[in-house]
Amino acid sequence: MSGPLHAPRMGPIELLWDAVRSDRRALSGAIILAVFLAVAVFGPHIVGDATALVGIPLQPPSWEHWLGTNGQGQDVFAQLVVGTRVSLAIGFTVGLLVVLVGALVGVPAGYFGGKVDGALSGLANVFLVLPGLPLAIVIAAYLPSGPVTLGLVLVVTGWAWNARVLRSQALALRRRDFVAAARVSGESRLRILAVEVLPNMTSVIVAQVIGSTVYAIGAQVGLEFLGLGDVSAVTWGTNLYWAQNDSALLTGAWWTFAPTGLCVALVGFALTQLNAGFDEITNPRLRLERAWRTFLGDRGRGVERSTPVVRDHD
Amino acid sequence: MNYLLRRLFFYASAAWTAVTLNFFLPRLMPGDPATALFARFSGQMTPEALTAMREALGFTNEPLGRQYLTYLQHVLRGDLGISISKFPSPVVDVIGEGLRWTLFLAGTGVVLSFVIGSLLGVIAAWWRRGWVDQWLPSVFSFIGAFPYFWLAMFALWWFGFTLGWFPLGHAYADDTVPGWTLEFVADVLRHAALPLATVVLATLGGWLLTMRNAMITVLGSDHVNLARAKGLEPRSVMLRYAARNALLPSITGFGMALGYVLGGSLLTEVVFSYPGQGYLLVQAVRSQDYPLMQGIFLFITLAVLAANWLVDLATWWLDARTRESAS
Amino acid sequence: MTAPRLWVRLAPVLALLAVVSCAPQRKELPPDVLVVSQEQQASWVRNFNPLTPATAARWPTLAGVYEPLFVYNSVQAKQVPWLATGFEWRDGGLLLRVTTRSGVRWSDGRDFDAGDVAFTFDLLRRHKALDRRGCWGFLQSVTAVDDRTVDFRFQRVFVPGFDEIAAVQIVPEHVWASIEDPVRFPNEHPVATGPFTEVLVFRNQVYELGRNPYYWQKDKPAVRALRFPAYPSNDRANLALVFDEVDWAGNFIPAIDRVYVQRAPERHGYWFPCTAGSIFLYANTTREPFSDVRVRKALSMAVDRTLLVDVALHRYSRPADATGLSDAYAALRDTVAVGMGDWVRFDPDRASRMLDEAGYLRGTDGFRRSPGGGAWRYDVLVVSGWSDWVRAAQVIVRGLRAIGVDASVRTYDFAAWFQRVQEGDFDLSLGWSFEGPAPYHAYRYLMASSTLKPVGTPSLGNWHRYASPTADSLLGAFERATEPAMQRELGDRLQRLFASEAPAIPLYPNPSWAEYAKGRFEGFPSREEPYADPSPNKFDRGEPLLILTALRPRTERP
Repeated sequence: MSGPLHAPRMGPIELLWDAVRSDRRALSGAIILAVFLAVAVFGPHIVGDATALVGIPLQPPSWEHWLGTNGQGQDVFAQLVVGTRVSLAIGFTVGLLVVLVGALVGVPAGYFGGKVDGALSGLANVFLVLPGLPLAIVIAAYLPSGPVTLGLVLVVTGWAWNARVLRSQALALRRRDFVAAARVSGESRLRILAVEVLPNMTSVIVAQVIGSTVYAIGAQVGLEFLGLGDVSAVTWGTNLYWAQNDSALLTGAWWTFAPTGLCVALVGFALTQLNAGFDEITNPRLRLERAWRTFLGDRGRGVERSTPVVRDHD
Repeated sequence: MNYLLRRLFFYASAAWTAVTLNFFLPRLMPGDPATALFARFSGQMTPEALTAMREALGFTNEPLGRQYLTYLQHVLRGDLGISISKFPSPVVDVIGEGLRWTLFLAGTGVVLSFVIGSLLGVIAAWWRRGWVDQWLPSVFSFIGAFPYFWLAMFALWWFGFTLGWFPLGHAYADDTVPGWTLEFVADVLRHAALPLATVVLATLGGWLLTMRNAMITVLGSDHVNLARAKGLEPRSVMLRYAARNALLPSITGFGMALGYVLGGSLLTEVVFSYPGQGYLLVQAVRSQDYPLMQGIFLFITLAVLAANWLVDLATWWLDARTRESAS
Repeated sequence: MTAPRLWVRLAPVLALLAVVSCAPQRKELPPDVLVVSQEQQASWVRNFNPLTPATAARWPTLAGVYEPLFVYNSVQAKQVPWLATGFEWRDGGLLLRVTTRSGVRWSDGRDFDAGDVAFTFDLLRRHKALDRRGCWGFLQSVTAVDDRTVDFRFQRVFVPGFDEIAAVQIVPEHVWASIEDPVRFPNEHPVATGPFTEVLVFRNQVYELGRNPYYWQKDKPAVRALRFPAYPSNDRANLALVFDEVDWAGNFIPAIDRVYVQRAPERHGYWFPCTAGSIFLYANTTREPFSDVRVRKALSMAVDRTLLVDVALHRYSRPADATGLSDAYAALRDTVAVGMGDWVRFDPDRASRMLDEAGYLRGTDGFRRSPGGGAWRYDVLVVSGWSDWVRAAQVIVRGLRAIGVDASVRTYDFAAWFQRVQEGDFDLSLGWSFEGPAPYHAYRYLMASSTLKPVGTPSLGNWHRYASPTADSLLGAFERATEPAMQRELGDRLQRLFASEAPAIPLYPNPSWAEYAKGRFEGFPSREEPYADPSPNKFDRGEPLLILTALRPRTERP
């Protein structure tokens, strides 16, 4: 049984590459994302100092300032480009951290089961049911504003979902033959976890990282919009905060908030598309389902953004 | 029944976690609420007056443990203390009416988005590769990728400010008298239209996809094929057989979505100056009004927990019926 | 299911939409109801306690519902007799005798008399938390000599104390005598002497106050009622203002001529006199090199105030002069002191030369250093979210960098920032000034040893921690000067002292924001008719009372 279902042992990069090559949506997502990454890496060097006061505040877009100037007389385009770097950096870092924390809680819970599972997944479920944004606001309010605080808050409010998903994945793997075989052969539990279980979770983890990055970028922008970030930094969220603060609506200065929102949406959309394609390629169950459907001549592709939930009650 | 009791216990412990977080978080951090209060007078208050105020507000130097116990007792009694920024009003009074509007906005938003999204999901799955199926999922997941509050800002700017179709804020016009009159209800709906539309638009995609995918699975099942083979009317097969069975995963997600939508609608409220909890929470945070902040967070959490409990009840009931009809 | 049937199902939804779209559009405001937006609140809390030391009380409480003995007119720099008709100093300044107005009635019809004044001050004595002006720091006793006369006996001669006594809101003894805890008393049904005392409507998003049936000024107010919609932020209130939903507000509006006035020039007016205190760059004088007056003056000359005012304030203000006083003291400004202010003019070359001559030379990195010390690397502290300050700080930092100071903007949350400046834990920070009716108030917090606290101890003002012996003697003389001419002379000398010692770096006088619907009401103060400060924000010493009693609805609608 371990044959076809045993996911191929590939690294995350190979897996993603595989998805991009063979899925249209993953490809489109990856292209958009690549553009943004390029902007994040090289853009700030090209546009220069985004905080420079270059002109009269609230000028509409022109040849000189492609996206006009904001309420402080800074170039909106430059701010957008520089903001891309910071926002994506925080987004991806938090995305990774969230999954890391989720894995640290979820994998042992699923793998060891019993009391460990009871305690850990109980904790995760509690955090899952507490409303995230109010909690984030309350925590962020007390810490000095800045990227570290923001990251911490997002991790605290975001890890639980990952823990739940990874737990059920670990739970499923524990019941697999090859893990059982390793256990019978007397390998230590930690070694099994590290060598047998974790590598088989690569695809899920990658998918979770992508999903968590979407969450991190969205939540970060939301908190910064409320003024809970470092408002003197240049990020997407603070750009929107200042747009609101400088009465963008009142002055009809749509160019101060429309492009930023569009970028947030594009990145989010790209990541979602990438994930959808990736999921389809790597998720063995989906692959099997697809094959089966094709075989039976079913109405077509059925794409589940599957979230394997193993009920803890029956 | 055992299951429901277990869930109840779980929610109780979640509530306790919220209360505990509530108590310890503010106290672990530097800063002092009385300082912020003090500040608003730009130095017009003497240090003696300030000290007297602090005593009146109960910021004492007791050990933390005792403060915690006192806090728990007070919460159980429903006494959340006195708001600092709106001294001397009790927190419960300050929150008072606002919670209703938040729940109205978030609740209606979730329900509308659930109903519309699931219906579209059913349609998409039923007419596979129709235009609904081809376009809507991508369109809505793109719209869903926008931050809530950005959609809200955009809607406000375009439909409210530029076109003037909708009011620019508040839950009802200032000179409308609240009551169950047609005028008031219409006014409330008019004011809620834009905030609701943004909440619904931003979350529709999730329901649509969940429902569509669940429907596709169900549509392939023997159960539905049998019904179809029996020659039942297609609409009846679609709604009675397939949709009902496909609804379960959506309902399970409903409770969690409520918490999520509530967070989003707080941001939307800020944009539309809707008299709910959103802006109140932000204001409480900015003025370091611990008691008010704790109170709002607690109330929102309890509301979400209660909603989850109701969803559990619904799931349990639906589950039981499904099992019954299967056997 | 076929398509038509779907539409049948959707019919109720469409009907609902129809109802919604037929709902009344924006209604015309009643012509004699003045809509005011001063406080920014998500929802209203019913509190009309004028003595409670938080901004918990609704805005009109201090200047509309309740009234003080004297209203301070900051444009004309004079105390206007209000519930009092006059005062005199006796016993060489140890006794202040105030005559109260006759014919004043409380809004429940009872007579107001001197006993109410004595009672109010006794309330402040018994409840320290209510005495936010610190009157009992200099008062010894307050007694009603007869129905029309109150004697304030002082612990020592302290003439500026009059300004504090004058501004206390007077409450009725027959109501407050039975209140057990006046600190927490929300006073939901106020009994008061002001022009607007009747709460007509109170909901969480709007409330309305009606006229006092017994108001003492004949045929006033002409406005029938005040309405207060709750707007949570500046931005929201401004939208309402632009759409004619608000008649009087005190908000910052960017590009006001385009955004507000040009939309309806015949209806929309504003006046921003620069009378709301001054904004300073405070340098911590307990730290090197800021204890050196040459450094403070050089830093000041590095700041391009014209650019700063353009960028941070949309040119609503002007560069500060060397007195550090706002236009609230326009009548008292000393031209000699202003003339001494070459150090507030933008001159980076001269600033550099001054620092070179003082021995603070640039290192290889281009930054200056104190002899034997490290490079000058300083943060300029501002409050996060206060956009005008953040922008001002950005301009300052650019200027400082140009003369060799490695400065950067540092934003803190309000509480954190406030703690730092109060405890003196900063190098450079923006901050406000503390202005009262006389220059005495402003300079006390700029250079008196009586306001100087050691670093680490929170201080109300004097955050830069500067004390000048000359200032002490001048301020001391001011406290004992009952003659206006003498006060004037001392005020001038204080200004010159500030201009020569440069204890802090003045940036710009802060505008007093006021926008108004002159199309609906006549009688708002304006540049042409500057009878009072136009802003609803100047409520602390009762000034809006002057406006509320002067406004008249325009009968013909434009």
